[in-house]
Formats: sequence, C-alpha cells, structure tokens
Amino acid sequence: MTGNLLEVVGVSMHFGGLTAVDEVSYKIGAGEVRGIIGPNGAGKTTLFNVITGEFKPSSGKIYLKGEDITGLAPDRICQKGMSRTFQLTYVFPEMTVYQCVWVGVYSKARRAGTLFFSRADHLKEAADKTMELCRLVGLEDKRDELASNLSYGDQKVLEIAMALSTDPALLLLDEPTQGVGPKEADSIVQLIELLSQRMSILLIEHNIDIILRVCHNLTVLSFGRVIADGSCEEIGRNEEVQRIYLGEITCS
Amino acid sequence: MERKGMVTRFALVSLVVLAILGVVLPSGARSLVVQIMIFSIFAMGYDICLGYTNQCSLGHSMFFGAGAYGAILSVMSFKLGLIPALGVALLVGFLFSFLLGLICVRLSEAYFVIVTAIISAVFHLLAMDMTWLTGGDDGLSATIPPISQRISQLSLYNPYVNYYFVFFFLLMSYLVLTRMIGAPLGRIFISIRENPRRAHFLGYNVTRYKLVAFVLSGIFGALSGALYAMTLRYASADYFSFYWSVLPIVWCLIGGTGTLAGCWLGVALMSLFQYYVSAWFTHYLLLFGILILIILKVSRRGMLGYLTGRGTR
Repeated sequence: MTGNLLEVVGVSMHFGGLTAVDEVSYKIGAGEVRGIIGPNGAGKTTLFNVITGEFKPSSGKIYLKGEDITGLAPDRICQKGMSRTFQLTYVFPEMTVYQCVWVGVYSKARRAGTLFFSRADHLKEAADKTMELCRLVGLEDKRDELASNLSYGDQKVLEIAMALSTDPALLLLDEPTQGVGPKEADSIVQLIELLSQRMSILLIEHNIDIILRVCHNLTVLSFGRVIADGSCEEIGRNEEVQRIYLGEITCS
Repeated sequence: MERKGMVTRFALVSLVVLAILGVVLPSGARSLVVQIMIFSIFAMGYDICLGYTNQCSLGHSMFFGAGAYGAILSVMSFKLGLIPALGVALLVGFLFSFLLGLICVRLSEAYFVIVTAIISAVFHLLAMDMTWLTGGDDGLSATIPPISQRISQLSLYNPYVNYYFVFFFLLMSYLVLTRMIGAPLGRIFISIRENPRRAHFLGYNVTRYKLVAFVLSGIFGALSGALYAMTLRYASADYFSFYWSVLPIVWCLIGGTGTLAGCWLGVALMSLFQYYVSAWFTHYLLLFGILILIILKVSRRGMLGYLTGRGTR
C-alpha cells in the first residue's frame, strides 16, 4: 500500500442478480490523473459510488493513503481526503454560489464547539478560503447568485468548486463536461488541467479528446470488468478496446 | 440578502406591536394574543424541523403534551416553582425528542412521517389510559405558583404578568433560534434541506444534524406546551392528540417555511379565524382548509414568502 493514494482491490458490486462492478482493481499514485472510460452502463458511476461510500462493495477492498476505507460512510471518506462531483448537477439550489462552496469549506474547517458560537478567526479563514475557491473556478462575479439560477455550465463548475471545498487529495469527477457547450467545456478542461498539478484526479469522461488531453493513464471498463489498464498510448493500441469502445483513434 | 432583511424587519415590527398590545388590548383579545404567542414558539420550533431540514414530523404533539405534563406534574406532585417546572418541561421535551429522533431521523421521508405519527398516536393512547398520571381526557388542573416566591404579585394569575411572561419567552426563543440559524449550524441545516446526499458527500453526518434539528424543535415544542398548560393551569391527554401534530404544519405552511418569524402569521391567521369565524359557523375548519389551499396556490412559500417577493417557484 505504499506510494498509492488510492488502491482498489478486487471490488465487486452486485445488485440482486446484476453484477454492476466485477472484480475491479486499479491504483492511483500521487499526482496521477486517471481516466475511466467505457460504454454506457459499464459501471463507471457505480464504481464511483462504491469508492466514495455510497454503496458498500459486495466484495473487495478500498484503500486511501494506505488506510482501509471499505464500507465507511461518505462523510467519513470525504473527511479523509476524497471528494467527488456528480454526473447530473448536484448543488444546493436555493443557496448562493458562495454559500454552496462555504458549506464544504466549513466541513473541513469546523472544530468542536464551533456550531453555535464560531470563533471569528475560524469564520474568517473559511470565508477567505471560499473566496479563493470562487476565484479559482471563475465564479467570483456570480458568488451571490442562487445556484439554481446559474447556467448549466456554471453549475458544472460550481460542482467542481464544491468538491474542491473539502480540500481533497483525490478528486473524482463524473463527466464534468457532459451537456456543456464546447467553449464552456474547454474552460472546464483548463480548470482540470490546473487542478491536476495540485491533486490526483479520477475522471469519467466520454469525450476522447478531453481524456487524451488531461489523463496520464486509463482504465477501460466494459460490463463491469476492467478490460484494459495502462497509459493512453497502450490503450490506443489495445485491439479489444478499439473494438469495444474507441473505434479508430490515433495517439500523439 | 434583501429577503432576509425583510423577514427580520417583519419580526422586529411584530415584536414591538406585541409588546404594545399587551397594555392596549381588552382582556378577551389579550388572552387570544397570549395563545398566539405560545403557539408561535411551537411553530418556530417546528420550522427548524420542516423548514430548515425538511423533516415533516407528525409526532410533535408528543413534545407539546410532554412539555405540558412536565410542567403541570412538577408543580402538582413535586411542588416545584414556576421556573424549575419549566426547566423540567424542557428536559422532558429533550428526552422525548432525542429518543424519538434516534428512531426516526434516519428514515426516509414518507417513513419518517408515518413512524412519527404512529409513535405519537401510541403516546396519545397511553396518556388517555394512564389516568392515574395524566388524568386522561378530564386532565389535571393545577395551582400555578408565582414566578418568584418573594414577590407574590408576579403570578400568572395576573393577566399582564401572564402576557409579558409569555412574550419574554417568545422573544428569547426568537433570539436563540435566529442566532442558531445565523450561525454555521443554520447554513448546514439549509444545505441538508437542499440536498442531503450532497451534504453527506461534503463531509457532514446528515443523520446527526437532522437529529440536532429534531431535538431543538422538540424542546421548543415542549416549552410551548408548558407555557400553554401554565396559562390555562390545566393539561389533558388531548394535548397528545393528532390535532396538535397537524397544527404546526399548517402554521408553517401558511406563514412560510424556513423563515422562523413567518409562521407567526400562520398562527395569528389561524387563531383569529378560529376565534371569530367559529362564532357564527360551526364548520369553520372547512373554510379554513379552502383558505389554506388558496394561500398555497398563490405562493408555495406561504404568506411571508409571498410578501418578501419571491412568490411561487
């Protein structure tokens, strides 16, 4: 368990007779950006749900920073440094952008006894951090808008900001550019590139151009199984992957 | 934060008006306002549950009844003073809501509603059967001791003292609750209302925060029950009935959930309606139901939500 930020060992997830995730294993090192690709229904989001504690895996182990986190609740896993976004925007609709981010920041910053009477310096610290994050993702001007009033693209960005707010070592992004216009998608990708210098990222994405632009390594899922695992070049050459998923592709 | 400012202004104006009304009003109307203020405390507490963490409890009659009996029994059986009796009522409210909360808050919405309703129904039956303790449907009448043993004039038998005693608790409840909602806790509550799953993934133990909200609202329910019992010098098993669980929902919906002070409007409207319309029409609740439907049709956020300009969503 050394050197790996996240290690997933033989994780399976059964729903009744359906096997959504079948004996999946992979590792993510510090600073690595790994893409997870696969056709619809391959189990990518289910895998996210299992890793982040939404579901307890039917079998297998998950280690974060060498520590067994299998079956922990999402809030505990979040506190240990793993954070995620959701495929469909999943914000706090009736809160402002600033408040949405603040809730996550405060989750990390809160200490015992600060719920009713918070110390001014803790609040200031949280406020500064929140502003910094709003600035980082480019939502500074819209910080007092209600989240539900944002455009879909901005909500996707807010999603990422909220995931960042808990200061994760590993960020899980579930189709961050899905349903977003090309221009906005490009700025999201730039944001991901920027973030990849600070933390490890696990990325689900259908757009191959984006995958090739930001990811170092890929894991390919099909019907819940890992069918290929390796660098972008290796995956590009893998015939089974080409057949199942990628079609024709050339790697630079 | 235009809206928040308007809600605060509404609350302050209402409090000032209430403070003046105590001196101005004739005795009949004064006791009606006392009742409105007592129910307002109940409604505000309930709003923490419904309006801030989206838990639609049908079990709050338990806390109202428990508070009422906690106060009356400690005055009758243990000869406690007024203030200690209130303390006992709050403690009982805490225990009841904590235990019920432990069972219920982890349940998903519909099950939460059903289980709280069933458990409170069980307690209603118990309260009716355990006549040796509760007096059953006939209830218990008690002599309420003065607020301070030294100054015997400061007694709830004096209508002015009664009015301002209740007003004091309304004011304190409002201040305490706005303080909590303004603190990080309030924002965490709202985030849980808005999207519990996301709050969970942001590192919050949602169940625990829901329990905190539930217990808080239970304590204020008990405070309200105790004040009601002390004002009437009477508590009966009826306080545990389903009626007292539905009332706070109605108050909050009419007034506007998630506003704290908004539910005062709901309480006032319902109490006035009850008082004046019931005099000439027996089935006044029928009319009231229609009125509720109209209000909610116009604004899903209730009266205060409408007045502060957000309107329907």
